[in-house]
Amino acid sequence: MEKVLITGISGGLGRLLARRLLERYEVCGVDRVPWEGHPRGVTVHVVDLRKKKFEDVFRTELPTAVVHMGFIRHFRSGEGLRHDVNVRGTKQLLDHCTNYGIQSLVVFSSGYVYGAFPENPYYMDEDHPLSASRSYPEIRDLVEVDTLASAFIWKYPHIRTSVLRPVNVLGTFVHSMIGEYLRQRRVPTVMGFDPMMQFIHEEDVCEAIALALEHGLQGVFNVTGPGAVPLHTAIRESGGTPLALPEPLVRPVFERLFRWGLWPYPTGALDYLKYPVTLSGKRFVDATNFRCLFGLEEIFQSVRR
Amino acid sequence: MARRRPHRESSALRDLLGAFLPLAVRDVGREIDERLRKLPTRLNEYGYDAFGLHLESVRTAAVPAVLLYRHYFRVETHEIERVPAGRVLLVGNHAGQLPFDGLMLSTAMLMEAEPPRICRSMAEYWVPSIPWFNVLAARSGVLVGTPENCIAMLEAGECVMVFPEGVRGMNKTFGKRYKLQRFGLGFMRLALETETPVVPVAIVGSEEQQPGLANLPRLGRLLGMPAFPVTATFPLLGPLGLWPLPVKYRIYFGEPLHFEGAPGDEDAVIQEKVDVVRLAIEDLFARGLAERRGVFR
Repeated sequence: MEKVLITGISGGLGRLLARRLLERYEVCGVDRVPWEGHPRGVTVHVVDLRKKKFEDVFRTELPTAVVHMGFIRHFRSGEGLRHDVNVRGTKQLLDHCTNYGIQSLVVFSSGYVYGAFPENPYYMDEDHPLSASRSYPEIRDLVEVDTLASAFIWKYPHIRTSVLRPVNVLGTFVHSMIGEYLRQRRVPTVMGFDPMMQFIHEEDVCEAIALALEHGLQGVFNVTGPGAVPLHTAIRESGGTPLALPEPLVRPVFERLFRWGLWPYPTGALDYLKYPVTLSGKRFVDATNFRCLFGLEEIFQSVRR
Repeated sequence: MARRRPHRESSALRDLLGAFLPLAVRDVGREIDERLRKLPTRLNEYGYDAFGLHLESVRTAAVPAVLLYRHYFRVETHEIERVPAGRVLLVGNHAGQLPFDGLMLSTAMLMEAEPPRICRSMAEYWVPSIPWFNVLAARSGVLVGTPENCIAMLEAGECVMVFPEGVRGMNKTFGKRYKLQRFGLGFMRLALETETPVVPVAIVGSEEQQPGLANLPRLGRLLGMPAFPVTATFPLLGPLGLWPLPVKYRIYFGEPLHFEGAPGDEDAVIQEKVDVVRLAIEDLFARGLAERRGVFR
């Protein structure tokens, strides 16, 4: 049986994925925090991706496949640390993959890497430039990770590498920025803007990752869910009340609140509440016949409080 | 159709307001519902299509548009049946400081064409950054004018309205009325790529609706707008100064034109094909100007 190493296994999505993969694979994982009560058959190593100890996991566990989803996606620990863990951790991981005979690799990137701009076309394909850092420099680490992984596809063609860029992931267990945002009772939005947003359920995302592994996909793929709705509809459907604030007020206020640690999102994130960032998932569907099981209503239901 | 939204207060408010509306307006609303019901659309469970179109918003926007269409601009359309079914590009002249020509053309396609069509139009890149207006535009079928969006629309078999003069036409001065400004070439490349028929459209009337005295694009750029027109009433009376005069609109549809060739050809080759469309619009202008008795009648 093949052995899969999952980075970030103790996160909500990592746990779901581990359970999903247990049917077909031996599963081991690394994370910065332990996973209390993990299922039998899963071994969890508490390591930092940047440290030498991470290499020992490759040495002792001898995995044949890797799913890389161990990223810091919030800003609580500071921008510098986030950037370092995400980018340098990915670099280390890619090096280990080449040195320890990994056969397939799935890198769980993000749909945010395209950036939110007024001139964005609808349903961007994978060849669209990754411009997020132009207006949202705080997430340039995600763009760098994606670029590192995409370059890896061409440098080491014998390793089946796929880079997945999912749309907004929602669910009961996953910790996503968008999930935290929608779970607020009063959800701040930018007055006069209501972009279309795509969502996908956490279980469907795990299924997509598993499919990418099983098909030995190679390349970059957007992963999309059942469809798109305007932001305000998403907020109402997930049980919140939109609180539309004028932009000239929102920007300076939230910028200060963020700097003082009272608000979790940098102001660059505001553009994602103004302009549509919609992806075309056609390439992934063509390659794997992926069909998502969860509809929009179930997705919003899962983040209702 | 869409699942009924459990959207309470606003519908109660609508019922209350509806009770005070004149009968004529209610009739228009009912007529629009009738037309919208004939539309083939792909909406999700929340009533939106993949590009943000929302039929209930179209209806809300269509009521004042139809009232303007019938009673203010008293629009006459000619040969609207020339617009073929399936994907098509409507290419028209653009004038009048505010895009009432686009509004009237799409109202014509909704109310007069058989079966009714929703015009999808391609907007300037700055439209999505205008608060409120961008939402209204998206809900009624407007998309940012990127080639990707236009191709997606045409491949979905939609009717796409383009004004290749762009702001050059919309904010031109009165002396240039009925003189087509330089056409952008993009629409022709897209027509070639997707093998879409092009229907030339001449809108007679809009060119006099708000005579421009000057255009100050530099001042406009300072304010984040692509142009800054000066008219007898703008900026003197504020934004309301751009409200159009009650001119009479005449919309003429030409024969569909089919083009062949490589979409990536050099500009000169594409330009020749674009000139065919321009000439067709100029012919329609000549006819329209000869047929009318005056600007307001």
